[in-house]
Amino acid sequence: MWWSDLFTDMSPASFFNFSFLPKYAAFFNRGIEYTLLLAIVSVALAVLPALMLALMRLSKNKLIKGLSGAYIALFRSTPLLVQLSIIYFGLFGVIRIPRYSLFGFVDLSRFIPGVVALALNSSAYVAEIFRAGILAVDAGQMEAARSLGLSKWSGMKLVVLPQAIKNVLPAIANEIVTMVKESSICSTLGMAELMFGAKNVASSTYITLAPYTLAALIYFCINYPATKAIEAIERRMRRGDKQ
Amino acid sequence: MATSSEIIRVEHVGKVFDGGITALDDCSLSISRGEVVAIIGPSGSGKSTMLRCLNLLEQPTSGKVIVDGVDITDAKINLDLHRRKMGMVFQHFNLFPNMTVKKNITLAPVHLRLKSQKEADAAATKLLERIGLADKANAYPAMLSGGQKQRIAIVRALAMEPEVMLFDEPTSALDPEMVGEVLDVMKELARSGMTMVVVTHEMGFAREVADRVIFMDSGKILEVNTPDELFDRPQNPRTKLFLSKVL
Repeated sequence: MWWSDLFTDMSPASFFNFSFLPKYAAFFNRGIEYTLLLAIVSVALAVLPALMLALMRLSKNKLIKGLSGAYIALFRSTPLLVQLSIIYFGLFGVIRIPRYSLFGFVDLSRFIPGVVALALNSSAYVAEIFRAGILAVDAGQMEAARSLGLSKWSGMKLVVLPQAIKNVLPAIANEIVTMVKESSICSTLGMAELMFGAKNVASSTYITLAPYTLAALIYFCINYPATKAIEAIERRMRRGDKQ
Repeated sequence: MATSSEIIRVEHVGKVFDGGITALDDCSLSISRGEVVAIIGPSGSGKSTMLRCLNLLEQPTSGKVIVDGVDITDAKINLDLHRRKMGMVFQHFNLFPNMTVKKNITLAPVHLRLKSQKEADAAATKLLERIGLADKANAYPAMLSGGQKQRIAIVRALAMEPEVMLFDEPTSALDPEMVGEVLDVMKELARSGMTMVVVTHEMGFAREVADRVIFMDSGKILEVNTPDELFDRPQNPRTKLFLSKVL
């Protein structure tokens, strides 16, 4: 390619020595797909457990409340890498996943433990998002529902949750952005996501820096526009609420 | 016009909030079917807490609330069934903002299987016609004025066909020019024979519509009398002082 010549004089330690690209672009393309898959699937899987954790957290029953609180505290106060290692070697040391390949490049025996770990971690954070969202709905809404004879659960389901969920959608989208970044940690366990691709390219080509520069650029180009779009949607939603 | 058929009896009810503040102190009260009772008093006197104890939105810390002969403070009874009989209207309307007016009105009756959606829709249309807002059936609360919201909140409660209606300062959050339209709906309701308990600052309304007026201060019921007696010849010095300031 015409631009391959640009890199001939560059040092292997240069920030922008992208001479590996013609040969190794597939590592990055696959990496992007793998990363997005990890982030979206794990947050999607986290939503229902998170909602349950949030409702438990708001329960009057001390045991139920405490269980949920302990879970959230545990996952928020330990590093994701540690959680990932324990789940990968501990839980999935016992439960064996067959080496089945999805779409040709997603090895399920690694992908499933990764997704489970990220989802368990994410559910602790999303639970707090839901809890804040539920508490942000005016208490008068539940009172009105109860005064009409609806049970606490019906009031929650029919009146409070629909309003809470609308309010927390931007925060959940932000959680996906966070997961796009955090999932890079899965590279340590050999999941072929974007960071893993960059590492592989660096060690195969002896170009030590530029693959990571490219990975950084790609992460930025995914997350920055996504963050801006979420902010714009949030602003529009706020305007809608005021009317 | 106290009739013999009692619908609500409050026996020695007290309420101490978690922080140790006493909101209600040994309040007793009896309300008859078809009666309109107004509760007046200064801010913080416990009148809203009193009202909220009647459908247990506030759990009394002592005493009993007996509705239709059943002690609803008893943990064993199904409170949701009792709340169906007691409609409530709030100061801040508390309409469901994510639902249309019609959906606001039909949600509870349909969900509780008291009516089919079709029957509930027909009832909602009738109720909206009664308050002159039939054209707003498909509007969302955000598109309505305060007075319209409160009138709809009233018919939302009426859609459950309650035996008693509780009003918690229903006109306090309204612009002055909208107070009248809400009071008119309440007057019409009172004339139709509905049992009503109204916490209010509208002394004119209390005087005109109520059968009895209750004056509360510092969590105590200090005086209960007919409006004419209570407003013209208050017995308690605290009532006298309060009325001298607001009338």
